[in-house]
Amino acid sequence: MPAKNNILKVENLTKVYEVGLFKKKYITAVDNISFSISRGEIVSLVGESGSGKTTVAKIILRLLPPSSGRVLYKGEDIWEKKGIESLKAYWREVHAVFQDPFASFNPVYKIDRILEQAFNLMGTPVDENAVNEALKEVALLPNEVLGKYPHELSGGQRQRLMIARCFLLKPQLILADEPVSMVDASTRASIVNLFLRLRDEYKTSIIFITHDLGLAYFVSDRILIMYKGEIVEEGPPDELISSPRDDYTKKLLESVPLLYGKWKGF
Amino acid sequence: MDILKAENIRAYYDSPIGEVKAVQDVNITVEDGDFIGIAGESGCGKSTLANVLMMNIRPPLKFCGGKILLDGEEISGKDRRYVKEKFWGTVISLVPQAALNSLMPTKRIKEFIIDVIQAHKKISEKEILELAKNKIVEVGLPPEILSLYPHELSGGMRQRVVIVASAILNPKLLIADEPTSALDVSTQKQVLKMMVDLQRKQSIRSTILITHDIAIQRQVCNKLLIMYAGRVVEYGSIDDVIYNPKHPYTKGLINSVLTPEPEVRRRGLMALFIPGEPPNLVNPPPGCPFNPRCPFAMPRCKSETPELTYSDNRAVACWLYIL
Amino acid sequence: MRKYRRAFFIPKEIFRIKKFTFSIAIVVIVILVALIGPLLYPKLNLSLYAGPPDSPPSNEYPLGTDRNGRDILSHLLVGMRTSLYVGAIATVIALTIGVIVGSFAGFKGGIVDEILMMITNIMYTLPAILIMILIASYLKERSPLFVAIVIGITSWPWLARAVRAQIMSLKEREFVQMSKMSGLKGYEIIFEDLLPNMASYVFMSVALLLSISMLAEAGLSMIGAGIDPSTESSLGIMLQRAQQGEAVRLGRWWCFIPPGVVLVIITTSLLMLSTSIDEYFNPRLRGGK
Repeated sequence: MPAKNNILKVENLTKVYEVGLFKKKYITAVDNISFSISRGEIVSLVGESGSGKTTVAKIILRLLPPSSGRVLYKGEDIWEKKGIESLKAYWREVHAVFQDPFASFNPVYKIDRILEQAFNLMGTPVDENAVNEALKEVALLPNEVLGKYPHELSGGQRQRLMIARCFLLKPQLILADEPVSMVDASTRASIVNLFLRLRDEYKTSIIFITHDLGLAYFVSDRILIMYKGEIVEEGPPDELISSPRDDYTKKLLESVPLLYGKWKGF
Repeated sequence: MDILKAENIRAYYDSPIGEVKAVQDVNITVEDGDFIGIAGESGCGKSTLANVLMMNIRPPLKFCGGKILLDGEEISGKDRRYVKEKFWGTVISLVPQAALNSLMPTKRIKEFIIDVIQAHKKISEKEILELAKNKIVEVGLPPEILSLYPHELSGGMRQRVVIVASAILNPKLLIADEPTSALDVSTQKQVLKMMVDLQRKQSIRSTILITHDIAIQRQVCNKLLIMYAGRVVEYGSIDDVIYNPKHPYTKGLINSVLTPEPEVRRRGLMALFIPGEPPNLVNPPPGCPFNPRCPFAMPRCKSETPELTYSDNRAVACWLYIL
Repeated sequence: MRKYRRAFFIPKEIFRIKKFTFSIAIVVIVILVALIGPLLYPKLNLSLYAGPPDSPPSNEYPLGTDRNGRDILSHLLVGMRTSLYVGAIATVIALTIGVIVGSFAGFKGGIVDEILMMITNIMYTLPAILIMILIASYLKERSPLFVAIVIGITSWPWLARAVRAQIMSLKEREFVQMSKMSGLKGYEIIFEDLLPNMASYVFMSVALLLSISMLAEAGLSMIGAGIDPSTESSLGIMLQRAQQGEAVRLGRWWCFIPPGVVLVIITTSLLMLSTSIDEYFNPRLRGGK
């Protein structure tokens, strides 16, 4: 990957949690990982629960400080940034879509608030035309969703709204943490497609964080397998599933239920 | 003789906004040795159906029609308590969703098993423990787990314990509702293997596996039943339904399954679309419930509801196939 | 630039819960009686020897008179007002301190949390009673306001702890992360995102604090460490006077039953109010669905 195309570079990132008051126990959630992402690339961070993938996402999103290591965005260390204005500038370009479409909304406010917050982040007044355009991109009718409370909409609609927010911001990098796992199967495909369109139309890089190897295989340019805080294998999807090198990757591939292949011994 | 035969089952919920038609005109037959998968998205009625099949019906759910024959006896008209005492645990067993969380944290596993069994049949504690130990060893789990507390076991272990507990009295039919959705992929395989082994060793004669994950069903089931908006829309052998889906919804559903296989990649993204959302079950659309989203909808579909029509061992509820 | 369309679910459905309607009606009635009663009662007379001492209830004096001839009914009406006043002020003080300390401790975490919790734990161990007794020995003029302040600044620790716990669990929710990434600052997130989600808890706490504060005032006044009885009346002071006049032993029930009953009614209905609010927002508590 040519260096100047790199938009994000993670170097020796580690996160250790201290647990306990007197007898301290140390839990290493992320163990010295390094990887980089280039413009317009879709990368999946695949791992089961406890693999550390969500922790990595929070560190990259500047929500959780690392214990050691660096995260470089366009060459600058994001944890060196100080002051609310430079943070806002970062979040304008690096944003997130989370797993639980209900918890992403504050239930006390109408959904319009998350779109208004986007304008606040950009420092521009609320532009109704831009809002309508963004809703159109995600196939939502303005009168269907504007002015409603989160509990009045379905999970699929809520998740689309989060992506509409991304269409407003047009970030350079999106971290999508299990964006479709809590959405019905029949709506899943159209939501995945929205991410692909962000990449195709705006060259947005996307990091998918997921346990679903099938989704990762389908959508990624590169897959990174995480296990116990480490990246154990990395590669393009076809290569990864046809010739896995790491034992954990092999075990994962053996356990994934298949639609065309058959498990041995069943 | 069929272990279970259900015809034209209808069950509705009373809710503040109206009557929710959760299960409508469902037919299902379970034969000895069957491992039937029921697939469908949230709200399609599959969990409700599981409860109805064993007459586990409590308000606001009500049984509105149909006939259920369990092991030859008609249970559809009977009282819940009667069915519970005579059939639950011994002929039919249900492992509900999130069962692994229903273990009381203050009771050891053996106490849990004793409670569960004694709720269905009057057997001495000693006998239950004997049966439990045998079953645990049979499925390859260490007998020591009986003395442990739930928090000392992993999620996968707990789920297996719950399944074993339902199988101790060798019921003829085990219904498992989303037994693996909370588990990691590797643990999931272990749990499924145990269920397959239980049936292979004849501890259980037949299984119904309810899940939204069709790839799992492909691995363990011999027949597949697809539900939509409370109705059965397609049924047949597992390979037939997956590789030759007939109903447009089934096609869309199978197409939206993502597994790490090259065939799936080749299918491409455009094939995955099913626009719209599942319908409101208080006021389902007239005619076929899928018609608002169906790319093949004909005028007839909007006014007449197609019935599940059989030919050989295949059934579809779609006007495209009924002459 | 920011126009937030806030939702405050003051849902009408809550009135369907009988407990709520009943208890809030009682509370409202008591407050009205306390506020308007003194204005409406024509024979309001707070002086000593307004009537013959130790007389049982009669047409002249509906609730009788005490050992010093005070008209019980007059003092009851004014006493209710004073007790409610003390309760309300103490509640406002405790609520403000408790919510601010708890939310900042919970949200900021780290050293801020440790310092605030240290202060909270120290305050926890200071009982209002001891402070008031100490002060009572030195200060003669203990106005209702003063007592209210002391009760207020000693009652907030439990609320701070509870608020902190709620904030700590809420702040991990994704909508908080979204607000952070929208550039909202700490205090903005606390007031805009977190506190409105705790509105039900805040209402409950108000009802609880009010009843606790009124009981605290009654307790303090009964042992003579509360409001200065020479110029004021409160429910607690009336009970203290009844005790000093040996009303129980001498069978003069009209001296202690009225203030006692009113105290019980107001605190019980406040408690009922707070549990009914809790039940509404936590349907699981309603006896299973």
